[in-house]
Amino acid sequence: MKETSNKYLIVALLLAIAFHGSAIFFTLETTYDALIHLFFAEHYSTSWFEPWNFKWYTGFTVMSYPPLVHQSIAALSLIGGLKFGLFTVAIIAVILFITGVYRFSLLMTANRTVAGYAALLAVFSSSFLETLHIFGQLPSIIGISVLLHALPEIYLWLKTGTYKYLLTSLSLIAVTVTSHHVTPIFGMIFFIFPLIGMVILDVSREQVNSYKEVTFKLFIKNFGKQFKRNMTFGLLSLALIIGCLLPYWINSKNNPITQVPIPHGSRDNFLEITSSGLVFFFIPWGILLLLLPYIFYRYFSKRYLFFGLSIAMLTLLGTGGTTPIPKLILGENAFNILTLDRFTLWASIMSLPLFGEFVYRFVEGDLKQLIQKKFGAVYHRIFAGFLASLFLFMAIFTMSLGYFRPSQPQKIKMLPIVNFLNQDQHDQWRFLTLGFGDQMAWLSAQTNAMSVDGNYHSARRLPELTTRPIERLENSKFKGVAGIGSLQQFLTTPEKYHLKYIFSNDKFYDPILYFCGWQRLQPLENGVMVWEKLNVPPLSSILPKDDVATWLKIMWGIIPFLTVIIAFILNIQSIFVISLKTKIKEAPAYLQFKTSYKQFSSGLLKFTHIWTVFLMLILGYSLYLFYLKNDSQRTPENAITAYYDAIDFKQFEKSYQLINPKANLPISQFMLQMSVTDGILSSYAKLDAIETKVITKTDSLTTLKVTTDWITPLEKIKRTDFKTLLKIKGKWFIEPETVDLDTPPDQLYSKNETRYFNQGRRRITTEQTYHEDILKQPVLEILSAKLVKRDNRYSIIGEIQNIDNVPADIVLKGTLYNDANKILATYNAKYHVKHKLMPKEISAFKINFEGIAWSKTQDSIPKTFNPDEFTPVELEEQPTKFNLQAAGNVSNTDLYKDAVLSDLNINLNSISGTVFNSGLQEITVPQLLITYYTSDKNLIWVDHLFLKDGIRQERKQNFEYAFIDDKKVEIINANMEDCYVNGLPNDEIANKIISDRIVNHRNAELQKIEHTQYGFINIEMNNFIGNPK
Amino acid sequence: MSLSRKFLMLLIYVLSVTFCAQNIKINAQNFTLLTSEKVFEAGSEIVLSFATSTNLKPQLYCSNSYGNTLVTPDLKNKTLTYSIPEFITKKRGIVFWKLITEKEEISGNFEITPLTKTNTLETYLGPPSIEAGGTDFTMLVVIPSDSLDNPLPENTEIIAKHQFLSDEIQEKIITENLLAFKNIFSPKKDGRMIISSSSSTLNSKEFDVNIMPAIATNFEIFVNRNHEYADGNQISTFSTSIIKDKNNNIISDGSFVYFYITNSKNAVLKTSGTTINGVAKAKIIHPDHEDTWQVKAYFLGISESNVITVNYKKAVQDFSIAFSKDNRTLKIGPIKSFMNQRIPDGLQVKLTIYKDKKIIKTIVKDPNNGFVNFSLDKNIYPNDVYDLEISTAGIVKTFKAKKLW
Repeated sequence: MKETSNKYLIVALLLAIAFHGSAIFFTLETTYDALIHLFFAEHYSTSWFEPWNFKWYTGFTVMSYPPLVHQSIAALSLIGGLKFGLFTVAIIAVILFITGVYRFSLLMTANRTVAGYAALLAVFSSSFLETLHIFGQLPSIIGISVLLHALPEIYLWLKTGTYKYLLTSLSLIAVTVTSHHVTPIFGMIFFIFPLIGMVILDVSREQVNSYKEVTFKLFIKNFGKQFKRNMTFGLLSLALIIGCLLPYWINSKNNPITQVPIPHGSRDNFLEITSSGLVFFFIPWGILLLLLPYIFYRYFSKRYLFFGLSIAMLTLLGTGGTTPIPKLILGENAFNILTLDRFTLWASIMSLPLFGEFVYRFVEGDLKQLIQKKFGAVYHRIFAGFLASLFLFMAIFTMSLGYFRPSQPQKIKMLPIVNFLNQDQHDQWRFLTLGFGDQMAWLSAQTNAMSVDGNYHSARRLPELTTRPIERLENSKFKGVAGIGSLQQFLTTPEKYHLKYIFSNDKFYDPILYFCGWQRLQPLENGVMVWEKLNVPPLSSILPKDDVATWLKIMWGIIPFLTVIIAFILNIQSIFVISLKTKIKEAPAYLQFKTSYKQFSSGLLKFTHIWTVFLMLILGYSLYLFYLKNDSQRTPENAITAYYDAIDFKQFEKSYQLINPKANLPISQFMLQMSVTDGILSSYAKLDAIETKVITKTDSLTTLKVTTDWITPLEKIKRTDFKTLLKIKGKWFIEPETVDLDTPPDQLYSKNETRYFNQGRRRITTEQTYHEDILKQPVLEILSAKLVKRDNRYSIIGEIQNIDNVPADIVLKGTLYNDANKILATYNAKYHVKHKLMPKEISAFKINFEGIAWSKTQDSIPKTFNPDEFTPVELEEQPTKFNLQAAGNVSNTDLYKDAVLSDLNINLNSISGTVFNSGLQEITVPQLLITYYTSDKNLIWVDHLFLKDGIRQERKQNFEYAFIDDKKVEIINANMEDCYVNGLPNDEIANKIISDRIVNHRNAELQKIEHTQYGFINIEMNNFIGNPK
Repeated sequence: MSLSRKFLMLLIYVLSVTFCAQNIKINAQNFTLLTSEKVFEAGSEIVLSFATSTNLKPQLYCSNSYGNTLVTPDLKNKTLTYSIPEFITKKRGIVFWKLITEKEEISGNFEITPLTKTNTLETYLGPPSIEAGGTDFTMLVVIPSDSLDNPLPENTEIIAKHQFLSDEIQEKIITENLLAFKNIFSPKKDGRMIISSSSSTLNSKEFDVNIMPAIATNFEIFVNRNHEYADGNQISTFSTSIIKDKNNNIISDGSFVYFYITNSKNAVLKTSGTTINGVAKAKIIHPDHEDTWQVKAYFLGISESNVITVNYKKAVQDFSIAFSKDNRTLKIGPIKSFMNQRIPDGLQVKLTIYKDKKIIKTIVKDPNNGFVNFSLDKNIYPNDVYDLEISTAGIVKTFKAKKLW
């Protein structure tokens, strides 16, 4: 019989290429993974056989991910560039997927029309759309597609025992392995084992008249008969899984993933975290949810029984943390490493043949007849319209997800950054990006400069990173305490990592950068701000790497492409025969097992109806709950939550809607008030939690105590407000706050100031900077330094003065030693120092010795956010001595010193006062450094306070500072012998400039306080200017 | 052969051996050094020849401070010739050589001297800024070198020159241990010094050193303000006299002056300024109540100013408070300033509500056009008896046992 072309398949392919082929240009680059694969591809395109990559994580090996897809992109990039390679491979993946689904469906249903329907439906399958256009998981798609292609060949080998099929199936398994390692391992369990079962059932069926007659005894008998083929295939594929990726397995064994698991939405409880439920359950299942009864009914028929078990298991595992069952099945470890969404993806792909079957029966088969007979033709049409619109809605909804809820920041033009890194030897240091999202991978692909961060978390090596459940430093603000904590360590001790430049695309991080001693360099053309840290040594020209044997490198470089070539040669003949119809081909064995579509079970139809109604009810009810929760004026609590949410997202117009309309506050006035407030709370804070407590309540008026937790880059801020709400016409409104009416005295005023410019290299040259262009390091003097212990933590405190004639950037590095001169810990001063000092200015400082957070107690990572989290370093022995290295570098930015302490009231346990801004810039985050002295005026402790609100020009800001508690400070060592300035002994260098210093000059001006431990304090001011003008 | 001739031969032999052994250990049987020169000029061709009795071609190991190498010989007429490679012959210094043979060890050395003509002056100067006053200095280092980049011989003469204001000074220095150096001490005045050097006809490029002023000496401070009233709104400016160092140089711009203010309650307030042309100015807002300030400025650890006393007079003499019937609305004002004008917005008015002598709430408001309204909500302050305290501009008014209803 001459076979006709399957029109459905051709239409499906054309549709798929046209639709996906054009859509990828708008979606793929904003997906989570695509750019990471692009980065790997860039690696192979420049060094195919060298697996070590220096660009991320201070070096990592690309042998940590199967290489086929990356190498394919790399090979194609030689023709048209990296992105050409990426898009070409994506189109190939689409073709492989559609044809794969067709072949798998044909295998399962033995009906070309049904398979054609399945292929058509696969084009718009929401799980496929999501995997490609939202997640960008190309290797995963190619892996599963090739596996689908392998299944018919495996069936034929198991059924017929022809060695040709063994070879073709194994060749395809090899390709699957080299493109994605997880797919064949789980594919073995969830696709191939059921297939083996189905083959045995088919063999048994041939010996009797119907599947009903197939008994367990017969099954066991045929299982024994088939055992040899099954084992041959099983063992050989196992050998391929290990053999083809041998370097990967060796690498995994040598560098086991010993890191804190990174939270993934697919492990959430979908009922609690509905957004995860949407992305990892609702979208991938899509319309298939309605058909679940049909799919399960069909898969639990005798022939497909093993697929039934498999899909039930996949469905269950795909529910993530909603029930504890997946965790019990997989075990704690696997549960925390695997992303469980892949199970749902496989389940939905496994459902596609039956989806095709259902639609076939619905459109032109027995189901249509049944419905028309029972409910009439009109109902059939309406139901068809309902299903079709639902299907299309899911497809459009999935595709638009990336548009309405972008997973990435706006596309960043990389060229200015690439140029910056190439200029003036900037790539001799490592860099870090902030707020780039996955686009950091694209930046890394384009430059030779190295980053301390990276985007492939399995390959992380620094303990500062592996002990944190964060993917990247880059987006650390979304990762709570662990994220900012990790970032702070890199910002405070950047010398350790040769980290000199930070590209910030998110102003959230500005305050933390400033208070860690970084300075702004310039905004690039694309709006990205460059931050720089002084006193960081460049990278050495030879960097360490973990080398591997040459044979492994050669295997890694050759095998993946070899598998493709072999698979191509082995399968090419049949592909051509099938597509060109050059000769009549014997129908494959699986086509003999046709299902008859004569009698659609009316019970099943009934149940499907009930199920649909049930799902719709659930959907309706959840939408209703959603509405109740979001109706902002139903209750005072809702109004407050809505108000704060709107303020948090800067939707001021929305928050104005909640303000009492009778309060006589025009919207323009409200907007104006909002626009003039600045500071850490209004410009850099994210609302973390809100708690409302009703204090008084009447029918028309409620007063609430609102406790809000705000995450800022510097510390967690707890704020308590008292809000009064009025009920007007059944709706609750908030009474507006009073306005600060403070009017500055001067309309226009002027100020002279000294500003500085450092030429850097005076000649335009690529040579090393001429020695006469290098400025002298400003001379600093460490006025006092002591090692103290308070609350079981060790700190070095003291005071430092810039005694030079130029402004200085200060880096203070403290090291603790024990009696035997063994180094115990090293750290830099973080917040507790003014990093920029004018000539003759003094700053108090405190160096806290932070350890790598949670490195010991992996399971006790706090769940709540606290950027101010402090992990004291674990010291093996008692520190008794210290070494303090101060380095000064000429600085010309962030020299704003115009904060004035204009009023002060000393209370019993606190001081309150006013800071006045006398200068020309708006102070965004004012910081107070409070130094404590004993009653005989000895410096003993340093503390800080960040003011929550900014201070505008010629305006005041009140503050209240509570004294630290009574815990005793113990001075361990006050010997300043080992204090060095710019590498020279402190005493000598200071004596040269100030030979007869007036010691304790400030003692006359210390503020007396009433405190059991401390006699005096001194207050210094440090100011972060968010928008320098 | 007679005994005496034998003796003579022996003597000559011994003498020649001892002579050669000063530099070379020679086993005369196989290899003998023929080259007699011990000193070569850099850049010239250097060939060592050895007489040999065998056909062996041992390699010559050469070593100088730049590195080591092996030289392969040419053998012609029982003479081995070794051409020393250029990278060694170009550099001045001592070259050690050793013939690598299986048994005997023959080694020696020769010296390469630099050319005598100066080709470049490698000059370094640092630090690029020093403090005026004569204690700080900058160091000029000159390395005259020949065309092959070899430092010239010891005691080569260099002229170090520097200019400062009207002085132009030249001084001879000589090289010692390859380089010549001079410590140039700072003058008493600040400014810029230009420095250069020369050797025979060759001149270096221009270098400069900034002479920065030294640390400040004591100074005076002044206050400047629009009026003397404590209105909590106007700004007083403190300024210093022109601050100079001990040599009468104006201290460098940007120097940070601390102004400490002690008020009548012994609270230490603080403002600061940076100098321009020796004068620092610092602003502070007027207090909002009558006060006396003691102000003193410092370069901490270095110098200080005199103390000045600044008095702020009462701006607000009194204010009136009107209660509503239910005592729940308080209208305060008009608050009037020193000429009976309404005070500018921004003066804080504080209402403290006590119940049973405990503070239950403090409300701070700014007057608008001289008036402040407080309204006490029934829901928050139920009907009861409260003590109310209103304070502004240092004036406190207390209302005991006010009944709210």
